[in-house]
Order: sequence, then structure tokens, then C-alpha cells
Amino acid sequence: MTELILCGRGGQGIVFLTRQLGQILTDLGRDVISSETHGMAVRGGSINSHLRIGPFLSPLIPFGNADFLISLDQGETGNNIHFLKPNGVVVENSVMAGEPGFKRIDASGIARSLGSVRLENVVILGYSSTLPGFPLSPAEIRSHLEKEPRERIRVQNLAAFDAGVQASSESS
Amino acid sequence: MTPQKSLPSMFLLGNEAIARGVIEAGCTVAAAYPGTPSSEVLESLVKWKKSLHHPIYLEWSVNEKVAFETAYGASLAGSRSMVAMKMVGLNVASDSVLSAAYLGVRGGLVIVVADDPGPHSSQTEQDSRFFAWFAKLPVLDPCNPQEAKEMAKLAFDLSERYEAPVILRPCLRVCHARQNVPLGNPQPVADAGQFKKNWQRWAAIPKFRLALHEELNQKLAKMRLTEPFAQPEQAAGDGHAALAIITSGSVSSHVRDLVRTDPTAYPVDVYRVRMPFPAHGEALQNIVDAHAKTLVIEETYPVLELHLKDRRKVMGRLTGDVPEQGELTPEIVHHLVAKALGADSGEKTAPEIKARRPSLCPGCPHRSAFFLIKKVFQKAIYTGDIGCYTLGINMGAVDTCLCMGASIGMAGGFVHSPLQRENSTVVATIGDSTFFHAGVPALINAVHTKAPFVLVIMDNGTTAMTGGQPTPAHQELADGSPGVAVNIEQVVRGCGVEFCEVGDPYDYAGFESLLTDAKDYTYGKRKGVSVIIARRPCVQYARVAPSEDKFVVGDECDRCMTCIRDLECPAISFIKPEKKIFINWDLCNSCGFCFQMCPSHAIKKVAVHD
Repeated sequence: MTELILCGRGGQGIVFLTRQLGQILTDLGRDVISSETHGMAVRGGSINSHLRIGPFLSPLIPFGNADFLISLDQGETGNNIHFLKPNGVVVENSVMAGEPGFKRIDASGIARSLGSVRLENVVILGYSSTLPGFPLSPAEIRSHLEKEPRERIRVQNLAAFDAGVQASSESS
Repeated sequence: MTPQKSLPSMFLLGNEAIARGVIEAGCTVAAAYPGTPSSEVLESLVKWKKSLHHPIYLEWSVNEKVAFETAYGASLAGSRSMVAMKMVGLNVASDSVLSAAYLGVRGGLVIVVADDPGPHSSQTEQDSRFFAWFAKLPVLDPCNPQEAKEMAKLAFDLSERYEAPVILRPCLRVCHARQNVPLGNPQPVADAGQFKKNWQRWAAIPKFRLALHEELNQKLAKMRLTEPFAQPEQAAGDGHAALAIITSGSVSSHVRDLVRTDPTAYPVDVYRVRMPFPAHGEALQNIVDAHAKTLVIEETYPVLELHLKDRRKVMGRLTGDVPEQGELTPEIVHHLVAKALGADSGEKTAPEIKARRPSLCPGCPHRSAFFLIKKVFQKAIYTGDIGCYTLGINMGAVDTCLCMGASIGMAGGFVHSPLQRENSTVVATIGDSTFFHAGVPALINAVHTKAPFVLVIMDNGTTAMTGGQPTPAHQELADGSPGVAVNIEQVVRGCGVEFCEVGDPYDYAGFESLLTDAKDYTYGKRKGVSVIIARRPCVQYARVAPSEDKFVVGDECDRCMTCIRDLECPAISFIKPEKKIFINWDLCNSCGFCFQMCPSHAIKKVAVHD
């Protein structure tokens, strides 16, 4: 059983990430349930997704249960930290250095250097997939991204994903 | 029989799962008006129709009432039909729905109504199970996406067997949950046979309505007493615990997950009700009688609780044990269960959340329209409406927001009130889709009563808030097939409006001048309502590429803060340590309005080359 919170601002692609992870897990025959934010908040407001892998019926993670908190916006980390387990890991989109319990990657910067800040969600996905205990391996996610039929999007996403994976090996 | 293919599972949103159930049930007509959290039901039917080459007819109707009537007409024509809406949409459709309950249906008719406990994206926390009781219609309450798909199919079957419309009531935590959902093979399309004229039923006058009411009551009694899913399902425990929990819908999933984490810590019997109306009151009462205490956990009204005749051992909303408003989150459920067991839940409260408020997008044409409305009509009363542009509240450009279409009706009331006020200027703002939905009758009313207000129709060419669904002004229908575009200015003029002008809200001088003309028409010449259509495609859903222009703030900036305070563009921020205004190119959509608006001409266009 693994539980993840993904958070950020509306428009950063949190729902996209949740959907990709859930579909890969579904293809692998796992039980997975998630909850998303829709509606007015997607206009730049605070957004989070819950993703629960295991025999859960409810899509909401109770406080203090998440193994990972993946935050695309540093300002949103504090709004969601109460979902994290005591020994859970925060993965944060930030230019600051990591510290115990906080893994940090400048996903926006890397995405901008690849041509669009909008790729920041896929960069942080690549980085997160290398962490111990993450429910999917880089190879499992990459082979899913390779199935995207629209070439331009596929190429961009794969470059962003690889850059995230690469950033992890450089920081460790 | 052809062998059925075994199909994979998909990670589906609750609304997508419902749509899949609708297709699998052989439904051939579906109509909806978008509204969070229901919009994805029809959107995913479009996808299933295309990928399965299914013959289902799909439409985004002009409003929920018309959507229901479309589905109802199709049911009489013999089709299995579905209509989807959010719960406040059911208020709009209620006239038709309550009458249809008496008349009954031919092809199975399922009303998908998405509830929003919280509320997260709605005006009310109304409970559609309670509405179903009021309307005397059966209602099914799914606990997650997997069950929602199965219940959609069950609902068609139930509807056809009892010749009654059936409500499927998913809460937001079902609609916007995703889950691995096993796909089934679609059944062949259903056909209840050709419509047979029978005015005593399908056009029943009051004399016949009495008999139809009795017939409906008999249907409900039979359903309650004979349908297996009317019986509460034992979802946890062995029936011997001191505490029973009666629950239904998405909140039942929080209850069951909690109890399963540690059955010794939570020695309870959980009973889940899948059809909360017509509820099997006797079976529920037997549960209460067999346990020392019973806790009722349901959203959002005490529907099951009210079905219990003897409530002396019951804890719920009526006894004040369960909060009367707000979503029942896993933490609240944990607290309620622990309290009922006399244990300490170590009550966990969320830390103070500094939630970022939503805002109109950078480059949103509503922002520039609101900015100029405020400039031309200072200190006016701004009646607003339902859509993205409700966010005009951030700019002080929306003072009221009641329900769909109310901006126009309320503006009439403001200006007709005979009480003297210093400034009786009123500007109503409404989006294009909302105007079609409920604004047209109100506008006719305003013309007829010579109501002196200015109406600005914020025409971004889409239903933006709910995800960019088409409006009647589109050439294309829901599934891309050709329709007839209804021209907004023709509708406005057809309502009897003499002053109707179209302008581009990105055009600072031009749009300001139109607003000034409208002001002169309505308040100078006292000629009644004037209408301006602010036309510019939504930046999220426009099919045109944005301009490549980039903007910077030059040294001329005198920090007047107009761009921060009055324009409120998320791409523009004030950097405190440096006391400088900064334009964030990651967020900027290059609309260029700030460049036109800056009082000290400090915002400059710069050439950007890759």
C-alpha cells in the first residue's frame, strides 16, 4: 500500500500526473483510487490530488498517512504537509537545497530550459520515480509515456521525464 | 450469441465510469448541461461514442430543464435515455422532473445528479436523495467509481421495470475520484417500442393525475419491499456489535476504510444503503432495535435518519451528533465513530490552510472587461452571475451572485426599487452560456419593464468554468456533428433590445467608448436596458495561438499599483524588497491589456527572439 499527495496551483498539470500514475498501475493490475480537484480552483487556485494504491474504497487519504507529498509549488507544501506520515518524503519543486525529509528539484528551471515551464510536472515525475519506495519505476513510467500518439507531446514529455531522472542521479 | 470479448480495466473518473455504464446499458439518447461536479459524464460519452462507433445521440442542452425534457421525450419514443446535471441544475429541471414522476417513462430514464457536499464548487449543499424523496423518485447512491458504473446499468433496468425515472446520485468524491474500473461489453441498444398515443397518461389532466399519483405510490412500495438493493447491506461486522453504523454513498467508503484499518479498535456493524429512497424503513428500524446504539452517517441531509420511526437510540444530524453542514471527511468520520464508541479519536484538525484564491487567468478577456466597466461605471452596483467571471469579485466588479441568470433579473429589481439612492447605476454581467441558459427570459422582462441598467454579456465563446463545453452559438454539436449557430446579438435584439453593440474587451479605447455610449443610452437618454457583448475567445479554450508579445515594466513606473490592485493579473506582482512591479513571462498570456492600461505608460512591449 502506497499513498501519495500531489499538490500545486491550478494549471500546473497535477491531474495529468495523477491520471498517468493511475493508468499505469491499472495496466499492471493494481487496485488504485484517487481524488482530484476540479471547478473554480483550477483557475490558479490551490490544487491537490490524492492517490492511494491498495484495497481502498475511499479516494481520500486520512491525515498522517501519505508516503509521498509531491509539490509543484513551494507555497502549497505547507497546505498539504499534514497528510504526510511522520517518516514520509516531500518532493518539492524548488531552487533551494534538499534537507532530511525534503527532496528538492528545480523542475520549473529544467522545464524552462527544455522550452516550456508547463513541462515541470513531468520533470518532477521523472525525479520522483527514482526515489526508494516510489510505487513505479522510471522504466514503467517511461514506457507509458512512449505510448502518447501525438509526436510533439511525446517527445517533449520524454525529454522532460529523462531530465528529471537525470537530475536525481546528479543530486545523489 | 457472439462471444463476449474480455476487456481491460481503465483508470476512470467516476463520471467516466457512469458514462461507460450508460453506454453498456444500451442507452441511445443523452443530454446534459455542464456543472461541476457532473460535466465529465457527457464529455466522456462523446469519447465512448467515437471509440465504440455507438449510435447514441448526445447534446449539450441549453439548460437542465431542456436536457431533462429531451431525455424524457426520447424515453417516450422508446430509447433508453440519460440526463446529467449538478444538483442545483435539478432545481432548474424540477418542474419537468416532478411531473414526469407521475406520468412515468417508456425507455429507461436515468437522471444523473452530482451532489457537492462541502460545497466545493456550488451555491448550496442540497441533498438530491432528499429531492428524490420530495419528487417520489427512486435514487441510487454509489460509493465509488466502480459501483457508480454498475449502478448506472442497474438504474436503467429499475427504471424500465417500474416505468419510473431513476436518479443516480454520485457525490463529488465519486464523480471526481478515479479508480481502476473493469469495462464490460456494451449491450445492444435498447428499444421499448414505438410511442403509442394515450393522452390520459402522457397529457394527463388533473383528474387522471390522482390515479397516476396512486400508481406511483404503489410502484415505490413494491420497490421498497421487493428489490434486493432496498435492503441494507452488511458491509462490516458480524451483527453482534453494540454500535451499528447506517451509512450511504461516498461517505460510506470513508466509514468502511476506517473500520477495516483496525477491526478491534472499531468494533462496529456497518450497514450500507444503496437505495436511500424508497428506503426500507422497517429493515433500518430492525438494525436500530438490535443494537445498543446506532450512528447514522450520510450526506448531506438526514434522509435515512428520518426513515427511522423510533430514534431514541440513534445518533445523527437530528440529534446534533453529526455536523449539519460541510463535507464529512475521513477525519470527521473518524471523530464521529470514535466518539460513539466512547474512545478518543485524538481529534486531528487540519492546520491553518493558506489556500491560494482562484483568479481569472492571465489574459482573460473578462479581466479587461471588468476593468473598464469599473472605470466607466464608478460606484455602480455590479450584479454578477455563475461562471469564471464570478471571480470578478477579486476586482470588486461583482457584488452579487445568486444563481444561473440572476444577474439580469436582480438588476431589474435593483433599478425598479423606488427607494432613492445616491447612485442607482447598475451593471449586470453574465457569460454567454449562462445567458442562453437562464438570461433570456430575464432580459425580455427587463426590456418590457424599461429597466434602466446596462448588461454586459461576457462572450468568450465557451462554457469555460466547467471545461470548455460548446454553447448554442457554436456550429458544432457535442459530438462534433454540424448544428446551427445561434447568434447572441440576434437573440438580444429579438428580446426587444434597441441598444446592442459588440466590442473587443482587449481594445481599451474602443470598449471604453462602447460602455460610455451604453451609459448615455440608459442613464443619459433614459431609454431602458442597453446591452454590450464583450467578445473575445477564452484564453484556455481558444483555438487561436496567443500573441508572442512580451512585456516589461520600465523606470517610468511610479508604483501607482493600478495593475496590482485594479487589474489583479496573476502574471503581475509587486516585489517588495526591490519595490518593483514584475511581469512573470511564465504566466503572461500576452494580451497586452496592461500595456494599454498603465497610467504612466511604464509597461513596454519587447521583442523576444528564440
